[in-house]
Amino acid sequence: MPRRDSGRLDEMDVLFPQTSVTDVPPPEWARLYRTMVLSRKIEERLIRLYHQAKIFGGVYTGVGQEAIGAAATSASQQEDLFAPLIRNMTIHIGRGETTLNIFRQWLARASGPTRGRDGNVHYGNLKNGVYTMISHLGAMLPVIVGGVMAKRRRGFDTIGFGTIGDGGTSTGDFHEAVNFAAVYDVPVIFLIENNHFAYSTPREFQYKCARLADKAVGYGIEGYGVDGNDAVEMLLFFRKLAADLRARPRAVLVECDTLRMRGHGEHDDSSYVPKELLARYAARDPIKVARERLTNEGMLAAAQLDAIEAACAAEVDAAYREALREPPPDPATLAQGVYADG
Amino acid sequence: MVEMTYLDAIRDALRAALRDHPEVVLYGEDIGRFGGAFKVTLGFQEEFGADRCFDTPISESALFGSAIGMATQGLRPVVELQFADFGTNALHHLLNNAGTHHYRTGVPVPMTVRAPCGGGFGGGPFHSEELEAIFCHMPGIKVVYPAFPSDARNLLYAAILDPNPVVFLENKYLYRHVKELVPRAIEPVRIGAARIVRPGQEAVVLTYGAMVHEAMRAATRLAGQGYEVMVMDLRSLKPYDEDAIVAAAAATNRVLIVHEGWRTCGFGAELAALVAERAFHLLDAPVMRVTAPDVPVPYAPELESAYRPNAEKIEKALVELIEY
Repeated sequence: MPRRDSGRLDEMDVLFPQTSVTDVPPPEWARLYRTMVLSRKIEERLIRLYHQAKIFGGVYTGVGQEAIGAAATSASQQEDLFAPLIRNMTIHIGRGETTLNIFRQWLARASGPTRGRDGNVHYGNLKNGVYTMISHLGAMLPVIVGGVMAKRRRGFDTIGFGTIGDGGTSTGDFHEAVNFAAVYDVPVIFLIENNHFAYSTPREFQYKCARLADKAVGYGIEGYGVDGNDAVEMLLFFRKLAADLRARPRAVLVECDTLRMRGHGEHDDSSYVPKELLARYAARDPIKVARERLTNEGMLAAAQLDAIEAACAAEVDAAYREALREPPPDPATLAQGVYADG
Repeated sequence: MVEMTYLDAIRDALRAALRDHPEVVLYGEDIGRFGGAFKVTLGFQEEFGADRCFDTPISESALFGSAIGMATQGLRPVVELQFADFGTNALHHLLNNAGTHHYRTGVPVPMTVRAPCGGGFGGGPFHSEELEAIFCHMPGIKVVYPAFPSDARNLLYAAILDPNPVVFLENKYLYRHVKELVPRAIEPVRIGAARIVRPGQEAVVLTYGAMVHEAMRAATRLAGQGYEVMVMDLRSLKPYDEDAIVAAAAATNRVLIVHEGWRTCGFGAELAALVAERAFHLLDAPVMRVTAPDVPVPYAPELESAYRPNAEKIEKALVELIEY
């Protein structure tokens, strides 16, 4: 199992033994890879649509952070719950959202998940166990704690994955949610995606502790650190952790070390991010790392990965073109749906 | 019929909801074994189990946020604020999360927030606030505020079964000051209906909560002087009963608005605007308001008496309105 480490996060080692990749069947590895590649290709298309002024408002991506949601969703089960944030395209895909629906959302189509009521990253699908985020960071964490409590009370063996960034750990809601879940042993994995920057604010102005996972000690729960750019490692870890939480329900913190590879949004040139830091993480791009491991360790052949990439590209092209052809919401429906009863 | 205090009625509605609907859960600060700061849930944990009535850490934001999570996963959470004042620690969940959820996602959020509010007992600035205007400003939220035990019981039960987030304001001063004979069974009621609690034709007092009782006292005194004043208990503030208000303005031609909360942007401003929009041509006098001044709720009894509207202040305003 991973161990606690008092060293600096960016020097973190792989924290648990290389348990056997043969425990996971090849289709699972293919799914993991597809989730990441599809996410990257969707977001690359979103960036183009943004620059072509076809998207109203901003574009926020998870480029460079795809491994985390891909691994977490791959390790999840049908009745589990997720509360994704803005860097979590791979959670939506990994839980079954369609590429077409994702483009409908970003293009504010009447047919999209929020029917144009909300935009860009604010969508989800509770049929897939995915909550729709609000912009207030930390706010989705108590929501998923309550969601998991409710589903477990109804007899499901549910665990939850609530994502938060390094910046979001500074919020009161982070504290309240983690403490509440800790007190009641609610099996929620508080998934801290430490991508080094909260918009422009670097970590040294966000928190004082050596590692965010160390905050777990104060809540009386376990905290783990993992390499957030290694999807293979994380899938093995999350499978193990999820099984353990089902056997012994409890809240845990997991800190994933990664780096935001683009601006906060596409409007942001992120010139405040040191070039050498970007270079270091670019060399460990999560899709590249996964491809190397999957082929080198014999889970999938290069040709299989090529086929996945080609299929994702075709899927993205078809989906965004179709979404562009669909109608926007009718202004006459403006006031519809504020209340559930009219 | 059984005699119930306002507090008994709230307890009775909660017990009935727990008994009738297995998806109802109650939680909040100190409400489990201790039975709550006002003992509303006393004995519930023993009766219904610790998974249906339980305590939380002092975390209002986690309280509201987790209720949204539960309400979207098949439960009907009823969360208790120890005091409405502390709900301000968690308003963002109502405004941004609960209130927008159905509009954005199509998934309803059937949660109820019980918010004990109001002053008159030396609670000072942080245990006496009247925050209905803040709650009413939020799209997607319903707000009810009963003045009588019968309405408290029926409206709380209706709020729990409503598919939307509902803020149930309960006036602490009324908890043990108001008693009423109520039917044994809870009656189904529609949220959004006002009630004329005293007929009259000289003027109408539009009010709610504890001020209904102050207005009734004022009306009783004025009846001795030959003025018959209508008192309308709004009962529900969002939605509120526009048609009943316009009808009352038409019947009396004089409108006094009374509430315990602050004046500027208070709920009375909304009511005055409605009367101006829909009943301007019916008025024989300007709309008047008796409200708390824009001052933090003071502690000393001398100051709080000066601050809080009461029957004397209402009577004075009514005389001015009627003799305009």
